[in-house]
Amino acid sequence: MGELIVFIIFATVALVSAIGMVLAKNPVYSAIGLLGAMFSIAVLYVLLDAHFVAAVQVIVYAGAVMTLFLFVIMLIGVDNREAYGPAVPAQRIMTAVVSIGLFAAIVLAGRAAWITGSNAFGTPDLNGTIENVSDELFGTWTVVFLSTVMLLTIAALGTIALAYFGTDVPDEEATL
Amino acid sequence: MGNASYLAVAFEGILLIGALVVLLVAVVAGRSRAVWAPIAGASFLLAALAGVLQWIEVENGGGGMFFSAQNLQVIKSPMVVLDGFSAMASIVLGLVGFTAMLGSWDLVAKVGKRSAEFVALSLLAFAGLHMMAATPNLVVIFIGLETASISFYVLAGFIRADVKSDESALKYFLLGSLASALFLYGIALTFAATGSLTIYGVNSIRDFFSETVVSDPGILLVGMALMLVGLMFKISAAPFHQWAPDVYQGAPSGAVGLMAAGVKIAGFAALGRIFVGGFISQIDTWGPIVAVIAALSMVIGTTMALVQTDMKRLVAYSGVAHSGYLLLTLLAGVEGMSAMWFYLATYPFMIVGTFAIISTVSGPTSTSSPIEAMRGLSRRSPEMGWLLAIFMFGMSGMPFFAGFVGKILAFIAAGDAGYIWLVVVATLTTVIGFAFYLRVVATVFSGEDDDTTMIDPTLSSRFAVVIGATVTVVFGIVPWILIDVVRDALPL
Repeated sequence: MGELIVFIIFATVALVSAIGMVLAKNPVYSAIGLLGAMFSIAVLYVLLDAHFVAAVQVIVYAGAVMTLFLFVIMLIGVDNREAYGPAVPAQRIMTAVVSIGLFAAIVLAGRAAWITGSNAFGTPDLNGTIENVSDELFGTWTVVFLSTVMLLTIAALGTIALAYFGTDVPDEEATL
Repeated sequence: MGNASYLAVAFEGILLIGALVVLLVAVVAGRSRAVWAPIAGASFLLAALAGVLQWIEVENGGGGMFFSAQNLQVIKSPMVVLDGFSAMASIVLGLVGFTAMLGSWDLVAKVGKRSAEFVALSLLAFAGLHMMAATPNLVVIFIGLETASISFYVLAGFIRADVKSDESALKYFLLGSLASALFLYGIALTFAATGSLTIYGVNSIRDFFSETVVSDPGILLVGMALMLVGLMFKISAAPFHQWAPDVYQGAPSGAVGLMAAGVKIAGFAALGRIFVGGFISQIDTWGPIVAVIAALSMVIGTTMALVQTDMKRLVAYSGVAHSGYLLLTLLAGVEGMSAMWFYLATYPFMIVGTFAIISTVSGPTSTSSPIEAMRGLSRRSPEMGWLLAIFMFGMSGMPFFAGFVGKILAFIAAGDAGYIWLVVVATLTTVIGFAFYLRVVATVFSGEDDDTTMIDPTLSSRFAVVIGATVTVVFGIVPWILIDVVRDALPL
């Protein structure tokens, strides 16, 4: 019963914040709405006994990603309307139709059976989920863990390449 | 884990080391001179060589699944798979990467200090592309896709002084991110439906289909559809193609060949791995959808290419049509995979060669390349003019060029699968397609005799174009050499 009450409260907060994020005119309010949604989803993860995911949700999304968003908002300027360009006619209506359509399609498709009978999920050991996650991360998923190294390298390289505003000096000797 | 497990990731390993060496050299030896030509070239060639070794290993029965969960007697969630399919991807991506890098070298020389980043990004991008072909795990496919996509977003916007290059990069980034998100959502829903992220091994998607009677596949259908949309975007199949002409046109000419060829190969490799490797039992569900997308791509690509005045947009729309022809091979399931690899081993070389010529004629940093700029090319630079004609013939599907054989194999595959109407559409669009390819050839061989602004191509672009033309001609005249090889390029 207690769980249900917590779920109802935070599911409501998540929905209201998400809707507020989309509807808010001021980008800072949007950012705060996003923050609220992310925190409430972290609480929902705790309810599902996924403590590690909940912690990651708070650290990565509410921490790092939100900071990034706020930096971007500060760089563009809170009141800078021109930065967004002219609105496309009927954009809101089109967005609403597409989102509601996709949502309806998934709900209709999943109405009868969400999980179609797989036995791949074992029963998770609830004591020490962090140890279990690290076992998986550095055991089964080592290759994935290592290949994200390439992604991070590319992020750094791409930033250096794109942030360079000087004039490129052609290298005549390099021409083959 | 034996040596075969290292061989299975050799392609990625070599390119990753190559990229890191380039960056280290840039720091130690100074950035003023682009000394990384030999490093980049050697990395791609070594990677292709690793592909040949992988191929031999597979032929000797040494293929299989690697990096699976530890301490188990059964193979569960393997991360890397070594089979004819992934070995072929290594060879093709290594050689196409080498040729494309040669074609991009004019641009590398032009960007001076930033050339180390350009080379390292290209090397890492190709490592990511091969991951998409060589893994049975949907998450690893996604990481490979993102590695390659993010590199290519940066390459598209590499010329900061040009607003069109910025616009191209931003467009590619926003639409590409949407496609990646859809693909990821598809993975999540597939996981919800099947309880598995991997295509092979115990408790895999395949196991799920062989053990379970799927009576109500609702979520699975949505998951498959979203993954299909995500990959269709990357290979620019209609109606998910709108980004391609704008991005190709806005990106610096020297970088487009690399992007366009690489994404085509890996996109189709991932489609083959997921849909033919994993969802083959559901082919009656996804087959008709792929058939409709193929028909749309061929028709829209061909008709839009007819009215283009810009060379890069023309190649982009012809690429949409070629995605349609390539999709025909998917419809035949496993039997179609060898046709797909024949196409993927020849067509990307034509893209790379064509863009090397565009880059030579309009300049490697140019963001537009009107077809009129090609006028009289046969006199201004005879070799480039003639070789451009070869690429146009190759893409159009003229007999005695590799494009013809590739198309015939694709048509046969679709015909065997029972899609006769699709073969009719494909034949019609091929015939209509001759119009715009031949228009380019006519432009190349026309013009006033007094127009003698000679073009002197650099050695690197000469090499790129000659390699591309050699592939186009040789596999057009003696295709059975390659057909015999790709017959074994099948997923596990």
